[in-house]
Amino acid sequence: MSKVAVTRDKSAFAELFDHYAPLIRSYSLAREPGADLVADELVQEVMTRVWLKADKFDSRLANLNTWIFTLARNCRVDYLRRNSRYVTEIDPTEIFDNIEDEGPSPFERVHQSRAEERIRAGLKALPREQSEILTAVYLEGKTHQQASDELRLPLGTVKSRVRLALKKLEVLVAR
Amino acid sequence: MYKASNHPIDELLAAYSAGSLPLSQALCISAHMEHCSSCVQKLQQLNRIGSELMQRLEPSPPSEGLKQDLLDRLESLTEDRGPAHPTTINASIPRCLRQFVNNGYQDLRWKRVSPDIHSVELCRDSNGARVELLKIRPGGSASTHTHLGDEYTVILEGSFSDEYGVYHKGDFLVKDSSDRHTPVATQDRECICLAVTEGPVQLTGFFGRLLNPLIRRSYA
Repeated sequence: MSKVAVTRDKSAFAELFDHYAPLIRSYSLAREPGADLVADELVQEVMTRVWLKADKFDSRLANLNTWIFTLARNCRVDYLRRNSRYVTEIDPTEIFDNIEDEGPSPFERVHQSRAEERIRAGLKALPREQSEILTAVYLEGKTHQQASDELRLPLGTVKSRVRLALKKLEVLVAR
Repeated sequence: MYKASNHPIDELLAAYSAGSLPLSQALCISAHMEHCSSCVQKLQQLNRIGSELMQRLEPSPPSEGLKQDLLDRLESLTEDRGPAHPTTINASIPRCLRQFVNNGYQDLRWKRVSPDIHSVELCRDSNGARVELLKIRPGGSASTHTHLGDEYTVILEGSFSDEYGVYHKGDFLVKDSSDRHTPVATQDRECICLAVTEGPVQLTGFFGRLLNPLIRRSYA
């Protein structure tokens, strides 16, 4: 990744493309199954941003997988906004970019790799009904209400399953 | 950084992290997080969940030629948007709101709602939710009201209290249709809030009830 940022190395970028493009594509298809053109468009958009913003990525501060996830999410949110029936003026880049460009706090940096391990292991151990909800929310981009309609669960159950899953994954911070 | 003491609940932050939240609500969360390092920390962990879930997807190869096409274009790529709102000098306005508030809150076209309250609509979300700023004069109060939908509030300046507590700059609140409350601004200064309402407010006093049909009409 640093090769992409510093020496603008195209072959290093090609390697990133080979690894991430298929995942970004699946991420798009998870929300809109069968929408292959949209999926390719998202791949182009995200990988373009990777190239343009490579110098903003700092491997000491952030995890590359997580950085790419947030880029893919932001691009998808923006795509959905531009293509919704009632287009809102709210600009999502102003909402998401500002917060995350700051990188993790010193506390986070120390605990980063441990937290990654914990979340990876935790996801594997989640009961199916909880990981199903996280998949609906994160990958399929469903609101709680949509997840509730689709899975035929009361809204409260959807929310409490998300809450339980987060608790198991120990997404906790001291206030 | 002020330390906010009322935060979005975890499910809401997770939906923000997933990008599955209506943008009007995401706007409130973003405004809150500028005052809340603990929610930013939590968000970073939540993003990691999204990232792990993405890594576990079955990869789907992009169309033929997509990669070569992009590689060929790399040199000519440029960032297509400059700083969208560079004129802002007022650092006390949350960055996510600078798309609507250029100079300062005072320069906005405030409309009088009641002797104590002025409001200005910033925009609508694609789900119809109304995004507005409310300004309550020092010591002023909003009529007792409930909501037909949920109401999301972030305090931007000053503070107010209601039957349930006192809220300060950065605090994030959600009220649903079962919550009836009467916000009162503190005496020392006016209070400015970001408010997202998913349905019209319902006034509950006698005169308030007479006004409800008029308020509802403005949502049509």
